[in-house]
Formats: sequence, structure tokens, C-alpha cells
Amino acid sequence: MSDHIVRAYDKELDLLGRKIAEMGGIAEKMLADAMDALIDFDADLARKTVLVDARLDLLQREIEENAIMTIARRQPMAVDLRDIVAAIRISADLERVGDLAKNIAKRAIIIAAEARVPRAIIGLKSMHESAALSLKDVLDAYAHRDVERARSVWTRDAELDALEDSVFRDLLTFMMEDPRNISFCTHLLFCSKNIERIGDHATNIAETVVYLVTGEALPMDRPKGRSFSSESLSI
Amino acid sequence: MTSSNGTEPGSLPTKITVKDLRFFYGDSLALKTINLSIYANKVTALIGPSGCGKSTLLRVMNRMYDLYPRQRAEGEVLLDGENILTPGQDLNLLRARVGMVFQKPTPFPMSIYDNIAFGIKLYHKVSKSELDGRVETALRGAALWGEVKEKLQDSGLSLSGGQQQRLCIARTVAIQPEVILFDEPCSALDPISTAKVEELIDELTEKYTIAIVTHSMQQAARVSSYTAFMYLGELIEFGKTQTMFTAPENRQTQDYITGRFG
Amino acid sequence: MSLYDARRRKNAFYVTLCYAASAFGLAWLIWILGALIMKGAPGLVPATFTEMTPAPGNTGGLLNAIVGSLIMTIVAVLVGTPIGMLAGTYLAEYGNRSKLAFVIRFINDILLSAPSIVIGLFVYQIVVAPMGHFSAIAGMVALAIIVIPVVVRTTEDMLRLVPSQLREASAALGLPKSMVIQKIAYKAARAGLTTGVLLAIARVSGETAPLLFTALNNQFYATDLNAPMSSLPVVIFQFALSPYADWQQLAWTGALIITMTVLALSIIARVLGSQRKKS
Repeated sequence: MSDHIVRAYDKELDLLGRKIAEMGGIAEKMLADAMDALIDFDADLARKTVLVDARLDLLQREIEENAIMTIARRQPMAVDLRDIVAAIRISADLERVGDLAKNIAKRAIIIAAEARVPRAIIGLKSMHESAALSLKDVLDAYAHRDVERARSVWTRDAELDALEDSVFRDLLTFMMEDPRNISFCTHLLFCSKNIERIGDHATNIAETVVYLVTGEALPMDRPKGRSFSSESLSI
Repeated sequence: MTSSNGTEPGSLPTKITVKDLRFFYGDSLALKTINLSIYANKVTALIGPSGCGKSTLLRVMNRMYDLYPRQRAEGEVLLDGENILTPGQDLNLLRARVGMVFQKPTPFPMSIYDNIAFGIKLYHKVSKSELDGRVETALRGAALWGEVKEKLQDSGLSLSGGQQQRLCIARTVAIQPEVILFDEPCSALDPISTAKVEELIDELTEKYTIAIVTHSMQQAARVSSYTAFMYLGELIEFGKTQTMFTAPENRQTQDYITGRFG
Repeated sequence: MSLYDARRRKNAFYVTLCYAASAFGLAWLIWILGALIMKGAPGLVPATFTEMTPAPGNTGGLLNAIVGSLIMTIVAVLVGTPIGMLAGTYLAEYGNRSKLAFVIRFINDILLSAPSIVIGLFVYQIVVAPMGHFSAIAGMVALAIIVIPVVVRTTEDMLRLVPSQLREASAALGLPKSMVIQKIAYKAARAGLTTGVLLAIARVSGETAPLLFTALNNQFYATDLNAPMSSLPVVIFQFALSPYADWQQLAWTGALIITMTVLALSIIARVLGSQRKKS
């Protein structure tokens, strides 16, 4: 893309892109650290991870302010308008990813104090791998304006949903085996839910990337991977 | 030309159809085979850098160019299916059907009242009281009545720039045309006056078909339903304004509206 | 800094030159006006406006000359203005860059700068000689010929000053060209056109040379257009050259009257002109 006649405009857009990249890096790291802390029962790492979230919140606020100023100053059109809207949306998604990772880290602190069934965490590990891959891919897709990669993230989310489904059933089994596991497993249940949500945010970002590049929205419904209906979730 | 996606334009009633239009200033070709539809009761914006031919295209639609020697058009411009470029076309009748508002406000050197009444009297034999009524309607239609009703006999030139422009719109509306062409109507106005004129254009779409040439992309985005982007005498892209300003298909369109033009 | 100082000195030098040049020009004007008023004002008595030009040694006034000047100027302007305006309108609105317009414009410019005595001689040749005697009619023809080029030029210039946007706006309402000219262009140029006519009046009211060969002079009050007629410039010419003090006095007074009239017309023209700018 050739440059704007007003060079300061290019700088503003570049800055937005760089800040999104920074947020993406932090969010990925938070998720990885939170999961490591969970798996290794590492309360220290978990505490550190919780603290990082503040940085993410700050960045998101900066991106929002910068974006609003650019809209006010430049009245962006076409690809620039989509660029800025995308930055606002993606930063909000990444901020949520940070919150969810923070929540996992907090639960990791509690679980570390009373490690009961480490094997229950294995399912979460594969969920994490899937979510982390989606997050990485979608951030790459954003950085390279790669619609195909974004689309693949978008369709892949079904996989994560299916994994969550099986984790849910595993944890239910552990709880039924021994009621003392309930507290531990409930925390893990929430963690699995968080990871699934992170996957959702990755698909949101994927949709945004597609919009950013093509100007078109993806269809409203996405392939689903769940075997159970929403009612069964209300247990 | 690229046609931006969106609803298939063919389904809308067309007021003016431009077919293979070529326009010459002397020997130089200013419009290179333009094909374009202006839809009835919609605002169509013509945008593009200076010298791209957008004003020229507008001035073909009421054959304004006929005022000048050595300017000529080839091809067809159909108004309700009839070619207005034929030599037999009655220009005055055409211009009564296709009104025009210009970049610089051009009130006539007469009173506010006469500025409006003048055009009406040209086409209709009306009683004094009916004339009064139609002047008032036209001024109300241009959202000017409240500001001038106390001084209808003052010179039209005594009004502010924005008021003068609305007076010109009222004058155009008063003779009840079918199409109104706006040639950069706000480029000499302050933002408040601009907003008033834009509001007016919005209201006028109920009754009239409108084509507007503007240098302000934001204005095109605000007031129009369809946008045509022209460059170097060619129509580069035509489509729904919504699509043109969020996701244009053509690279040149995109570069122009985002301020990347070299 | 020295560069700036040099520039400032240069500026001061040229500004001084400008003031000096203006003062030089104005000084003559003031001198002329002063001399006129000093010499002419004593003669501004009622008798000047009520009595005929006298024989040397008798008392008298300028009534016949004033009336003669008025009649001939008015008729000349009434005849010359429509012709001039129509021609000017043709040049501005229709002829434009055509060959005919070019020729008319060229001839008009020549006429505009032709010495008025030439015009006097011409009219003598085509009117006075065939008629066999001097007459007011011949004087009017000569004056009208002077009026025409002035009005042609100002009409064309003033119509050209009417913005093309105004013409386009009129045409955009569906006005035929003839109506655009009559209803819009003339109206917009009204002040300028009036100025042109006033300038023409000012020009002819001081003309002596063409009248010497045409209307000549008349010692008596006369309104017969077929007979010689008195006029202020000719009377001034004749009386100023005479050796009689009372005739000379009347010449000064007559000169003052013409000057003041022309001055008044110029001021009116200026005022009208500034109104045009405002609107």
C-alpha cells in the first residue's frame, strides 16, 4: 500500500498496528504462563502472570484513544477506516484474552495449594495447545493481512469446542469418583471455559481480519463442534 | 469501470442514463466514453481529483456547455429515455427540468422575493397571491423562510454566503424541476451553512433526483446513496456509497478516498 | 541586518518619490481649480443665468450658451447612448471573438481616441456643407459621434465584468439568452452602465472643437435646431480670446460652470461605482 499524502497519518496507523502486536505478544505470553503455572502448580509464576494484565489494559486504552483521535483528525475512509475499526475491535478482544488468562492464573494459585488430580489437567493442556495455536495464527494473520489464515482459525474453533466438550465430561467423571475433587475440578472447569472463550476471541479477531482485508463480514454462524446442547451446560 | 458490489443497480428506476459519452473541449478529449446511471430520487455523488471531468459530466446533463463555443459532446444522455444531446433539444425546456446549483452562490441582482418569483413567472402565469404563496413555499423548502420573511424586498446580495446558496436552491426548486445538479455547492460555505445545505439535499431527495459534484469525500459519504469516482476523464468505479467508502473495489478509488493519491 | 537596512532605505526613497509624483499631479489640479474659482466665482451672479451673452461693454450672462449646451448634450446623449449600448452589448454578448466584433472593436477604439476636431470637420463635410449653414443638428450629430464610442466601450467592459457564473445560473433556470442579457446582465451592470453614460456626458459637455464647425454660435437665445446654437465651450473660446474684460469674466465663469458640472458628474459616477462594488 502506497503512503498517505499526510505522512503523520501513516505514523498514526503504524503505531496502532505496533501496539496491537505488542498486546498480542503479551496476551500469548500470559496464556502460556498461566497454563504453565496451572500444570506445574507454580503459584509464583501465576502471581507474576496476574500482574502483567495491567499492562494489557493500559495498552488497550491507549489504542482506543489513539484510534478515536485518528478518526477525529483524519476522517478515515475505506481501508484506513477498516484498519482503525479493526484495531479497536482486536484490542478489545486481546484485552479480554488477558482477563481470561489472568483468571486462569488466579485459579492456578488456589489449585497449587491443594493439588489433587494432576491427570485431570491433561485435557486442558490439549485445549490450551489448540487455543494458543489459534491465537498465534490469528495474530500472524493480522500482521500479514492474511485472509486465508484467518479463515482457517475461524473454522478451527469447532475443534476447541469439541475438546471442551470432552474435558467437561472427564471432569464430571473425576467429581463423581470422589466428591473431594469437586472444588479442584470446578476450578479446572472454569479454566476450560476460559480457554474456550479465548478461542472465541481468536475467532472474533479472525472475523475482524477478514473484514479488515476484504471489507466483508463472515457469515453469522460458524461451524459448531459441540455434541451437547446448551441445556446440558446448565448443570 | 468497476462496479462495486451491493444490490444490483439495474433494479432501480433510472432518471438519467449516460451512454458512451465523449466530451471535447476544442480538440482535447475531456470525457472518455462514460457510461453511468443516475437513479431516480437518489443522490449520486461524483468525486475525483480536480480536472477528472466530474463537473464536465454534470454540465452535460443540462447542456450547460452549450453556452460556450468549441465544446461538444458525443454519445447519448437519456433523460427519462429521451436523448437530450440531439440538436433539436429545446435547451430552455431541458434546463427547466434539470436545474443546477453552482459552486459560488449566484443570487440575481434583485430582491430576495424577485429572485424566486423571477423563475416562476418565466414558466407559469400566476396571480400575485399565488406567486406569494409559491415564493414562500420555495423559501420554506430551502429552510430560509424564517430568516428572510421580514426582508423579502432586500437585495438577494445582502444575505450571507450560506443564505445566498440556499436562496439559489430555493430559486431552482421554485420552478419544480425533476433533477437538480449540484456543482460543489458547499465549497464556499462555512461548516454550519454546509450542514444546512446538506440537510436540504437530504430532504430534496423525496421529490427530486440529485447529482452532486463535491471535493469533500466526507460530504459525498454523508449525502449520497451512490458514488461515482472519476479519474482523468474516465469513470473508474461506480457503486453504492456505503461500499465505495468502506470497501471500494478499485485500487485507484481506494488510493483517492484514503488520501494516498500521488 | 544591513541587507534589511538597505531595503528599508530603498523603500523610503521610493515611497517619497511616489508621494512627490502625486503631489506634483495634484498641485496642477488644485492650481487650475483655484484659478478657476478665483477668477470665475465673482461672475456667479443671477444675471449670468438669466441674461444673454452681451455685446462688448454691455452687461449680460450666459443663458443662451447654457441652454444650448444642455439641449445639444442631452440630445447627443439620448441618440448616442442606445446605439452605443446596443453595439457594446453585441460585442460583449454575441460578437465575442468573431472577426466582425474584432473590426468593430478596433474602429471603436480609433474613434474613441480620434481628435474631436476631426469629428467636427467630418460632420461639417456631411451635414453642414450639404445643408448650407451651421445648425444645432450638426452639433448634436458631432457630439453623438463622440458619445457612441465611449458608451460602446463602457457597455462592453461592464457586461464583461458580469460574472459568468451569474450568466450560467440564469441559463440554468432556462432563461433564453436575450432575457439573460435584459433581465440579469443589464441589472448586474447597471451602475457601471450609468457610469459610462455619465462619463460620456462629461466628455461631450466640454467639447469645443466639433461645435466650432457645426453648431457654431449664436448671440441670441435660440431653440431652433435648424439654426446655429450657442454653447458654453464655444462661448468660452470666443470670449476668452477677446480683449474685453467683461467677456473674459464671463468666459471664466462659464469655464467654472462646466468644470463644476463635470466634477459633479464624476462624483456621481464614482458613488454609483462604489455602490456596485458593495452589492
